[in-house]
This record gives sequence, C-alpha cells and structure tokens, in this order.
Amino acid sequence: MLTIKDLHASIGDKEILRGINLSVNEGEVHAIMGPNGSGKSTLSAVLAGRESYTVTSGEVIYEGKNLLELTPEERSWAGIFLGFQYPIEIPGVSNVNFIKAAVNEHRKQKGLPALSAAEFLKLMRERMAYVEMDSSFSSRGVNVGFSGGEKKRNEIFQMAMLEPKLAILDETDSGLDVDALRIVATGVNKMRRPDNATIVITHYQRLLDYIVPDVIHILYKGKIIKTAGKELALEIEKKGYDWLINE
Amino acid sequence: MKQNYIYSPALATGFKCKVPLKDACQLFIVNGKVQGGISPFVLDLKDGENLSETLQLISVRNEQHLGDLEYSEAFHFGKNSRGKVVMCSHTFSLDDFVTRENVNIILESGARAEFVVMQNEHNKAIHNAKFSIKMADHACLTLVFLSLHGGEINNTVTVDMNGEYSECNLGGLYLTDSTQLMNNTIDLNHFVPNCKSNQLFKGILDDNGITRFFGRINVAPGAQKTEAFQANHNLLISDKAKAYSKPQLEIYADDVKCSHGATVGRLNEMELFYMRTRGIPSAEARLLQQMAFAYEVLEKISNEELRERMQSLVEKRLRGEFSQCKNCSKNCC
Ligand SMILES: Nc1ncnc2c1ncn2[C@@H]1O[C@H](COP(=O)(O)OP(=O)(O)OP(=O)(O)O)[C@@H](O)[C@H]1O
Ligand SMILES: [Mg+2]
Repeated sequence: MLTIKDLHASIGDKEILRGINLSVNEGEVHAIMGPNGSGKSTLSAVLAGRESYTVTSGEVIYEGKNLLELTPEERSWAGIFLGFQYPIEIPGVSNVNFIKAAVNEHRKQKGLPALSAAEFLKLMRERMAYVEMDSSFSSRGVNVGFSGGEKKRNEIFQMAMLEPKLAILDETDSGLDVDALRIVATGVNKMRRPDNATIVITHYQRLLDYIVPDVIHILYKGKIIKTAGKELALEIEKKGYDWLINE
Repeated sequence: MKQNYIYSPALATGFKCKVPLKDACQLFIVNGKVQGGISPFVLDLKDGENLSETLQLISVRNEQHLGDLEYSEAFHFGKNSRGKVVMCSHTFSLDDFVTRENVNIILESGARAEFVVMQNEHNKAIHNAKFSIKMADHACLTLVFLSLHGGEINNTVTVDMNGEYSECNLGGLYLTDSTQLMNNTIDLNHFVPNCKSNQLFKGILDDNGITRFFGRINVAPGAQKTEAFQANHNLLISDKAKAYSKPQLEIYADDVKCSHGATVGRLNEMELFYMRTRGIPSAEARLLQQMAFAYEVLEKISNEELRERMQSLVEKRLRGEFSQCKNCSKNCC
C-alpha cells in the first residue's frame, strides 16, 4: 500500500528526514516511536503533503502512485488521513460545517451526490458515538476551546467520518486520560479492516496494548534505526532509547 | 408610516428583489426620487410606535440620470419607538455614476433602531454615503454596512451620543477586488456619561483593492463610565491589495473603558493545510476561512433570514460570482 524509499526532507536548509525506508501493507498496524525531535511529525506531515517541507530525494509510492506529486486534498481523497499531534483551531468554521464540507468533497470525488441533511446527521451521530463525543461539539468552531483530549477525539471522529485507507495517527494518545485512551483506541480498532492500514506514532506502550502493532520502528535523527515486533515497546518502556542509539 | 408613499408592486415585480424575503415592506428610490411618494424620503415614527415590518429602501440608479446625483433620507425615531431598516443601493446601468447620499438618523429617548446598509453597485460607480446620527438617552442603534461592490465607496459616519445610557453598535464588512476603493470614516462622539459604543469593521481585499479605515472616538470631558471599543481587521488575499487603518482615541475623561485594535493579515496557512488534509480543496478552504472572517460582522444582523441572505451574497461575491440576490432579474453590480 505504501512504500517509502530513502526519503530525505528538509525545512529551510535543515535536513530533518535523512533516508527513511518503510513499507506498509494492507491490514497492518505499524508503530513509530522515537525520542522527541527525531522527525516523527515531520514524516507524517510530509506524507500528508505539507508544503513547507521540501523533499530533497527519495520516493513515496502509495497504491502504485507517486504520492509526492499529489496535493494534500488529493491525498485525502486517495484515502490518506493524518491525525494531528496538535490539531488546528479554526475559529468561525463550525465543526459540523467543516466535516460536512470534507465528507461531501470526498463523495464528489467518488462521483457520489452530497448527503442529504438527514443522512449526514445520522452518519455524524453514529460516528461521534465511536469516540463517545457529545453532540454539543458539532456547533462549536473546529477545535476552538476544545481541551487537549477533546481535540484528539475530534481527530478520530473525523477519521471515522472519512474512512481512510491509511491513517497516520500522530500521538493521538497524548493528552488523553485513561478512559479516553480506551475509548479512542476502541474507536480506531472499530475502523480496522483487512484492506486498510494504520501508522501510530506514540511515546507510550499503553496505547499499543489497545492498538496492537505488527511492527515497531524506532526513528532517530531522521532515520529508522530499528524495526522489531511489538515486544520492543516494552523494552523501550523499561530501558529508554540509549541502548538502541548506541547499538 | 405608510402614508409617506404608495407601495409600487409594478416595480417590485420588475426587480423581484427577495431581500429580506418575507416580512419586508419595499420602497424604491430611483435616481433619488421616491417612487409613489414624496421626495426626499422621510420616516417619522411616533412615540412608542413599532415598525411591524422591516422597511427596505432600494435605491437604484440607471441611465435616465447620468453623472452626479445627490439625495437624502431622514429617519426620526420618536421616544421608545422601534424599527428595522434595510437600505440597498444598486446601479442598473454601467455608467459613471457619482452618488451623494445624506442620511440623517435621530433616535429619541429609548428608541431602538437597526439599519443594514447594503451597497452593491458596479466598478465605475462612486457612492458617497454620509450618515449623521444623533442619539438621546437610552437609545440603541445598530448600523451595519455591507459594502459588497463598487468602484469607490466612501462611508462617513458621525454619531453624537447626546443622552446617557445610549448604545451604538457599528459594523462594517467591505470587499474589494480589481482596483476598487472603499473607505470608512467614523467619528464617534461620547458627549455624556454612561454610554456604550462598539465598532467592528472588517475588510477582505483581493487584487489591487485599497481600503481605509479612519475611526475616531471622542470622549468629552465629564463623559465618565464611557465604554468605547473599536476594531478593524483586514484580510489580504493578494499581495497587491492595501489596507490602511488609522484609529484615533481622544479621551478627556478618566473613568472610561476604551480600546482599539487594528490588524492586517493573510489567511492562516496551518488552518488551510488542516482543511486540505481533510479533503477540502484549497479554494474551498480559503473561502471557508473568508466566510468565517466575515461572519463576525454578519452576526450583528438580528433578522436571521436577512442575515442568511446577506451571507449568501457575501459568499457569492467571494467566489467571484456575480453578486445578486436569488430570483433578482436585474444586474445589481
Ligand atoms: N519549522 C521548523 N523550523 C525549524 N526546525 C523545525 C521545524 N519544524 C520542525 N523542526 C525540527 O525538526 C525536528 C523534528 O521535529 P518533529 O516535530 O518531526 O519531531 P517529533 O519526532 O515529532 O518530536 P516529538 O516527539 O516531540 O513530537 C526537530 O528538531 C524540530 O525542531
Ligand atoms: Mg511529533
């Protein structure tokens, strides 16, 4: 589904990604861990098409297409979803109008008519329930005044509305309380299908108890320095990253 | 009020103007002449009178009067009277019009009035609207300008707050493109204590549009407990547009709350990226942001129907579509 080959990316003249290789197949869950500042969010932003990062070399093939040639919206239509580490607030645009615009745009791209008001409402209610989100959030500005945890739930709600093929969840667990973590993780699991895939970026083993990864990659200074099975997360929880960096 | 003019259904059919839909009573002023009534237009509400319908004044210029034109409208709101007025100005031919419109508004004690002024003309039209407003005690006025289209629009507003506990709420939304010029000059005088004023003017500027906001708040000696706020925010869509903002506070009393703020900015890139990652195309994302920016002004319109109608006009205008009301048979801009 996704193949990243020797990807280098920089911001200004600072190189942040220094040769990433990664391959994700349908049905898989990959976890990316690594110390602060190692480039995890940069990788996710590059995959989502943020223009301020320059890809200096390498390639990304998604479903047989050169992903790097697509605009962020085209990537979204193609089924890529980025759950932001720091979701953006958009004052004045209500959550419901925002997600309605997004859903109908996706439908338009598939040649489907826009949902009727009733159909949309029904879908929204159902998907808000995935993350036990209160309906009062729909009339508020996108993420405006949402608590850290509420913003993360909203990300997963949006994911549930858009039904992506490849979801990249950047620290969706940070800022969530114990119950919210379980709720959000359950929501993510509910969306798992044999033909979609998830990349979860996290610092903590506890998320991986719920969303069990097939593989874990350790990113350090813009490179993947280790790839192993899910037991690696436990080892990191105990020993930190030093032993890996020194290896 | 109805004695002042005769409703002119023939004209109304010709225009098929649906602003503001249901509860409005429409009156046409063609080339400065009130149709079926006495010119200049005068609305005189008696003490305690309540205008049950929104009065919509539709001022139109066409090829039958070229060049300069000056006309006036006077509104007198008696004690504790209430009324809502929508003033629309349009041009029906693409001539070089210069219009001077003088509007006098007097609010007696306890009167409440809401004015929405919609200016939708064409690129060669110059419209100078001068509003002189006098407010007595406990009066309350909302005045919202929607400058949608025009070669040059100059709105000059002077508000004299002459009685205590009065409240004045001014809003403005101006949209420019090509080489349009839109200026708002506000002179807000707090002559007596305990009054409140609030100004919110916002502009969205594309192409080579130029806008100026001059806002003066004057708090006279002794006008204690005044609350006067002013904000002017501008969104530049192109690199060539220019927004000038000059707030001016002249405060001669010491126990007051006053503030002003002005910004000139661009669309937020992170917001745009966020929307695009959800599949909202760049152009649509930009539009959503602009609508969100404009909404703060539109929100001041209390009539929901009118607000929604204006909102859709603003949206069409921002989309670069021809801004006219649905069902309208004439070219308003
Ligand atoms: N706009 C920018 N200008 C300069 N440096 C930047 C910019 N954006 C990111 N960086 C740098 O790139 C590096 C990688 O950042 P990134 O956010 O990808 O790290 P991360 O692995 O997600 O960290 P964390 O675990 O703290 O979220 C950091 O050193 C960061 O300071
Ligand atoms: Mg990060």
